[in-house]
Amino acid sequence: MIADEAASQEPAAGAKTETVSLYLNVEKNGQLISGLLPGNFRLTEDGHSRTFRLEQPEEPASIAFLIEQSTSSSYFLEDIAYALNGFEAHGIDGHWYALATYSNMLEIHTDFTKQRAAITQQFAALGPPTWNEIDTYDAIYEMLDKMSRLPGRHILVVVGTGVDTFSEHNLDDVKKKIEADNITVFAAGIGSMLRGVYDPYMSSSGQMQLIQAQAFLQMLASKSGGFAWFPKMSVGFHDVMEGIMQSIATQYRMVYDTRIRGTGKFRKIKVEAFRVVNDKRENFKVLVREGWR
Amino acid sequence: MIMPDLRALVALLCSELLIANLVGCGRAHRAELPTVKPVASVFEPLQEDLKKSYLTLFEIAPSLEYNEAQIARMREYLKQAQDFCVGRFEASAKDYQHTVDEAQKNLKTKISDDQRHTLHCNIQDARALKSQADVISQHAIPVAYANRQAKLDLIQQWPAQVKEIRQSLADGSYKSRRWSDVADIGFREIERNQKDDIKTGQEAIRDLKRTGMMPMEVEDKAVVNYVTNLAQKLAAKSDLQVPLQVTVLNSKEINAFALPGGFIFIERGLLEAVEDESQLAGVISHEMSHVVGRHGHKLMKRATIASIIYQAAQVAAVIFTGGVAGIGTYYALQYGFFGLGLTLNLALLGVSRDFEQQADQLGIQYAWNAGYDTSGFIRFFDKMATKEGYVNGASWFRSHPPFYQRMVESQREMMYLGKKPNVILDSAEFKAMKTALTAVTAKAAEESKDKPSLLAPEQGCPALTKLIYEPDQPIEAICAAPQTKLTAHTGH
Repeated sequence: MIADEAASQEPAAGAKTETVSLYLNVEKNGQLISGLLPGNFRLTEDGHSRTFRLEQPEEPASIAFLIEQSTSSSYFLEDIAYALNGFEAHGIDGHWYALATYSNMLEIHTDFTKQRAAITQQFAALGPPTWNEIDTYDAIYEMLDKMSRLPGRHILVVVGTGVDTFSEHNLDDVKKKIEADNITVFAAGIGSMLRGVYDPYMSSSGQMQLIQAQAFLQMLASKSGGFAWFPKMSVGFHDVMEGIMQSIATQYRMVYDTRIRGTGKFRKIKVEAFRVVNDKRENFKVLVREGWR
Repeated sequence: MIMPDLRALVALLCSELLIANLVGCGRAHRAELPTVKPVASVFEPLQEDLKKSYLTLFEIAPSLEYNEAQIARMREYLKQAQDFCVGRFEASAKDYQHTVDEAQKNLKTKISDDQRHTLHCNIQDARALKSQADVISQHAIPVAYANRQAKLDLIQQWPAQVKEIRQSLADGSYKSRRWSDVADIGFREIERNQKDDIKTGQEAIRDLKRTGMMPMEVEDKAVVNYVTNLAQKLAAKSDLQVPLQVTVLNSKEINAFALPGGFIFIERGLLEAVEDESQLAGVISHEMSHVVGRHGHKLMKRATIASIIYQAAQVAAVIFTGGVAGIGTYYALQYGFFGLGLTLNLALLGVSRDFEQQADQLGIQYAWNAGYDTSGFIRFFDKMATKEGYVNGASWFRSHPPFYQRMVESQREMMYLGKKPNVILDSAEFKAMKTALTAVTAKAAEESKDKPSLLAPEQGCPALTKLIYEPDQPIEAICAAPQTKLTAHTGH
């Protein structure tokens, strides 16, 4: 147990509290750091120090793949194929895996299964996409909504461009949703290679749309404690998937109690991770959700 | 020949394209209880007789003394009772759909998270109730009453039939029936070019997998090896000319199905339901016969309209407990797909009855040739139709199956074949498989208990309401009470 007496604003005895779980990864120079103890962390909520405990992340976790599959993104099928290939090679046995795709609507193809091969086989068996719309915001909103009802630890792996063409939900809706639901999102942004090739020929509005799409995926990841990668080459998606699986395997679970306010106000979270070696503090980078509401 | 085809087409459109209201296919059901009924001194014992198994009725029918008028009255009573009962459940299904529609309208208004959660719970509960009411009205009730009518036919017609069968046995004319050359099983030809179906079967499997409709396979070696060995043993004594591929699916469905080209799928629920090896041998032989007769291939050729609308795989699947409709029904139940009309009624095309009877006859021959007690098939059929058929939601028989003809023709074939000495009823291997299966079932139950689901009910809702119907409960108990609302209860 860690307590920072000076700045602590712990819930008073008898106050209504709720227990919050934070899932985080710690890294240094791109290397994931495991084996840290409670003494290596410091947690603040809205600037106030919080007492916390480290617990084993729930296993099995519920991991859902959400893959863009529209006629507009059919040029990037190779990126997706490499991503799934990476999952097949590095996926962790014992977790629950699901597969959903989206274009003009969300389609769930494989509900949670422990048979990892079922995910890749199912995707391989999908026919060619029919629609050219990419309703990314709607699909992510809906997946977050579905996953938020599940017990335990949940992770959403988004493989897509991040472009949205015709959603009913807007960016702000998705932002609020990701803040409200405790789901770690990892994103693999597809289409970077083609984007690089055609960038000089694109209109400024087209370039802006792609920049926004990339920023959207980054926002999802940073708000939820995951990461977003945009490999330039298809083969890089294999490594991205390996990285995602390693991150899931090395997640820490930080649990603390906090007072219920019922206002829906966003509570900002900050977690520091460090190690003291020879009286010298070594700081680590922490990937954790920005906060919650 | 044109008229039946036209009727079939109209009926197909009515039932499958859901345009009943537009073209006037739908009709009102009776609103009151049956008005025609035999006198109590006949009605009560006849009701009791109709609850007896087919095998028992084959034995006692010649000694029963109901006259034509009494049977005709009972038949009319059953008809009216079925109509009334179907009407009740259809009306309830409409009510539940109305509840869903209203709740969905409310979802579009400005509501709090708590209110949304409550509406989600209401929708999922009403959807579950609608699915149950649909299954009961479209499958359970027709099956239950078709079964009663078939037994009435048996009481009425079997005494004359059995005399005729004995006469055929005595004068040897039974040897001129179709496929009477049982001494040549394996060397005769039922249908040419079975191997041409292999590709179709493979495509059908791919389609089923692609659409997520194929359950996972059972991995337990003891179970898989036993079923495979039994199937191979039967195949060796059959007319199958293609390699047999047996897959055991990890699904609680009491079902088995064949895809063209020698692909046979046995579901875990079926292995749980069979009581001895001869019953399982009967089912496997029946499915194998569909492959031998190339029924899937013929169905696909004949059912071109249906092929356009439905997945080829669904058309090609010939399912033991329900013909082609079974798989659609199963997945409709599993995923609430009823609204999409996934239940395909191929009997309307007038093709599957013949195929079922062919498969019954050949299946009995193969089981007999492999040394099994051929009554295993009828015993299992009886069990399913009478007890499980309308209780276990996922294993309905086809709507309006020709039960009587199938039973009589099966019994006739069994009598023509005669009993071999030392027929196999059961085996130590079967019992070992059952033991291994217990662990598989327990594991599946455990996994499904903890399994998260994106399609799962809204978390934190009260337990789903279920319409009350129990195993062995007479259909009259479900249908008799003229209530406006169906009895439902909460919990599992």
